[in-house]
Amino acid sequence: MNARPAPTQPCQFGASGELFGIYHATAGRPARAVLLCPPLGQEMIRSHRVYRQLGDALAQQGSAVLRFDYFGSGDSAGASNQLDWTRCVKDTVAAATEVRKRSGCDQVVGFGARLGGSIALDSTDGAGFSELLLWDLVLDGSAHVARLDAMQDALWRDPNRFSRPRTASDAANQWLGFPVSVSLRRQIEQWRARSVAVPVSLLDSQQAPENDRPKPIGISDAAVNGLPTPVAWDELERLEHAILSPELIRAVVDHVRGAT
Amino acid sequence: MTTERACRFGRAQHLIGLIGLPDVASEGDRVGVVVLNAGMVHRVGPFRLHVELTRRLNACGYPSLRFDLSSIGDSGASSESQSREAQVRADVADAINLLKQHAGCARVVLIGLCSGAQNAHVAACTEARVAGAVFLDGYAYRTFGFRIRHYLPRLLKAASWGRFLDRHMSRSEDGESDSNISFGVHYPALNQVREELAGMLDRGLKLFFIYSGGISRQYNHPRQFLECYGRLTRRPGLTSRLLSQTDHTYVLDTDRKLLFDIIEEWLASNFPISSRSSPS
Repeated sequence: MNARPAPTQPCQFGASGELFGIYHATAGRPARAVLLCPPLGQEMIRSHRVYRQLGDALAQQGSAVLRFDYFGSGDSAGASNQLDWTRCVKDTVAAATEVRKRSGCDQVVGFGARLGGSIALDSTDGAGFSELLLWDLVLDGSAHVARLDAMQDALWRDPNRFSRPRTASDAANQWLGFPVSVSLRRQIEQWRARSVAVPVSLLDSQQAPENDRPKPIGISDAAVNGLPTPVAWDELERLEHAILSPELIRAVVDHVRGAT
Repeated sequence: MTTERACRFGRAQHLIGLIGLPDVASEGDRVGVVVLNAGMVHRVGPFRLHVELTRRLNACGYPSLRFDLSSIGDSGASSESQSREAQVRADVADAINLLKQHAGCARVVLIGLCSGAQNAHVAACTEARVAGAVFLDGYAYRTFGFRIRHYLPRLLKAASWGRFLDRHMSRSEDGESDSNISFGVHYPALNQVREELAGMLDRGLKLFFIYSGGISRQYNHPRQFLECYGRLTRRPGLTSRLLSQTDHTYVLDTDRKLLFDIIEEWLASNFPISSRSSPS
């Protein structure tokens, strides 16, 4: 049994302290550091608890962990409509520097769910990740944008949510509770997974049959590990339900332990 | 511009929150704003509602704290053996202590949505430093008027009968009435809530109930406030508003802005800020 880790530490970092993070310290000297890159929009809110649980589990196992919010999201500075892909990548690089500084570890593993995984991929070189663990990675940005548009369209028409009819203009330029700038929309639309020079493991809960599992576009030698229970990322009825996945936590902790 | 500071605080150093300070100091008795969790959503709130609201209020001159109650979001457990209500009261007391230490606030206004409104009510009943509360979809009881407005139009629609029977059958099967449950929040008896609100008003608290269209199966007309709370509604400290077009969690940007306008206006009228020009 590992020693009980120290309490988590809320922190603010970045050029002017504009980024918010939670650092999970270990009881002794950490074996490695893990940076948890959050997804965007409502998926970030829904997965907050599983990220916290993952941070606790990894710290208990001996890895120092930093969770953080991009500029324009969560508790970080900036309005929601200022969220920008290039800035998210820059913030991830800053967060990797922060977790190195706090932990004293050179080796940093990057973890991200959905678009958080895509951002981690784009940040690999700048952040100097030694390895990536990507959970239900969004592989094709334009398909993701189409999915979000369809859900947003269904949302404002939903009579279970609104007792009085709303209009398309009430819901324009937003995705599931968050304003979306023209530039962010374009950045996500154009995003495609690409090959990186470090080992990549995809954790896939979508339960496609082995042969039909989405072949990671551009990540030719990524290992794909199936998680038995599918996560309902795209169900509008579950828009405000927390994402919970003990299997994901177990898989990541086992993977990181095995990599020691 | 506002300044936010992340804090770990509380009697067991188990609570996590962010203090927001206005860039202009106010004069005299400073009132702060404390925002409580909406259900199990961490302190940023549904669709970042609490972040946008606290920053907006900071810009108006009100110091703020959004934080996670014990065992919610990033906060830990206090290791005390006590009821959830006692824990909420102790957490709110810790939050007020922190806001006083950082912003000099002697009094606060609590804001909470859904179970957050219920927790604000619990704390406001006994905490002497609470000067007011904004209850977002707080306690609302179905009245005779509600039932007339709700069921009469449906009686005239044949399709509604099937849905009614389905609901009735399933309710009979689990043996539970849902009239005192809204979004999973169990309501105490109406008389108890009336007495507690009367006690708050006697102590000089200002109370603002804002209902959304998202609870139209519980509250469906501005008149229902009078139907629920009777003579209490004549008390000057008690105000209500129905935003029938919005949903329960303010998923649309335009609805959040409307909500912020209304809260800001109510705060300005009940707890005006007199600012001085020098920075804090």
